[in-house]
Amino acid sequence: MRKLSRIMAFMIALVPALGAPVAFADGKSLVAANKCGDCHKMAGPSAATIAEVLKRKAPDLFYAGSKFNKEWLVGYLQKPTVVRPGGVVYLNNIKTAGDTDTVGSVDKCASKLSAGDAAQVADYLMTLKDASMKAGAFKKGEIKSAQARRVLFKEQACDACHDFGKGGGLSCPTMVGAGARLNPDWMYSFIKDPVHWDPKVWMAKRDFDEATLQLIVNFLVTQ
Amino acid sequence: MRKIMKPLAASATAMTLALGTLLLSATDARAESAADNYKLYCVQCHGSAGTGKGINAPFLSVAPRNHTNAKDMGELSDDNVFKAIKEGGVAVGKSTQMPPFGGLLNDAAIKDLVKHLRGMCKCEGKK
Repeated sequence: MRKLSRIMAFMIALVPALGAPVAFADGKSLVAANKCGDCHKMAGPSAATIAEVLKRKAPDLFYAGSKFNKEWLVGYLQKPTVVRPGGVVYLNNIKTAGDTDTVGSVDKCASKLSAGDAAQVADYLMTLKDASMKAGAFKKGEIKSAQARRVLFKEQACDACHDFGKGGGLSCPTMVGAGARLNPDWMYSFIKDPVHWDPKVWMAKRDFDEATLQLIVNFLVTQ
Repeated sequence: MRKIMKPLAASATAMTLALGTLLLSATDARAESAADNYKLYCVQCHGSAGTGKGINAPFLSVAPRNHTNAKDMGELSDDNVFKAIKEGGVAVGKSTQMPPFGGLLNDAAIKDLVKHLRGMCKCEGKK
């Protein structure tokens, strides 16, 4: 009888492990082992005050599964690059000489994973989602480059803060490779309401209509 | 019945007011100083010295305004500066490179920023 109850206890203990996909569990362990949480917020909410923003060392990852494309994550985790030329919080990387600001050294993510580990971590990160984000909000359509460029560069001057590959601002993430990096539904959501994702974001919120949002995101996926 | 209802209504009003005050206090506690808002939103282009030499400035076709220049800043009314911050440069006939911050900052925070700018230029707005 005692033996039977031991077997039963073992099987009960095994149930959660069998219930969760192995890759996710391993990815989560790797995130812990690599101490990703020391720099990234792995659980929400995002910083709600400027003081908290200034303590941010790396982008929030608690909605990574909504934000990123998995294939990009797998590559990035093996070979990190600088996505934000001014650093995660540009204010923390400013060097001032006289009255002129420049950007000091911006470090890449220190973690560099093997292909296998990167795939597992990416699998896990893709499970971290913001349930309120509407999937399918982005409608793939005709890419109207000239029209999109007029909105992005002439009307909104997005290149004042973002680099589009031809020399642009440094305080916000580069848009070079945005299509590979970002989930278009997230781009749509972020542009529509950046404050939803980051209450203290320094990107202005515009009131774009639906057609303009689709025009912009259709262009950005080509970047 | 009216005798009972009147004090009840008065209590409900008092409670609503008290709750409103509490909520307002909470909001105030989380409000940022104008100096901090300037740092987060304005320094990227206008620079930490406020002279228009922020990290994005070299990439702009129109130089960001020098907020310490009393002559230039003195030519702008407070209403004009408020509108430029809230609705962007285009709203006051200036560059699209000055974005609208009305979606990030409420009117009270923008008014505080205008006061902060007046402190930076040590000047008054055009009347």
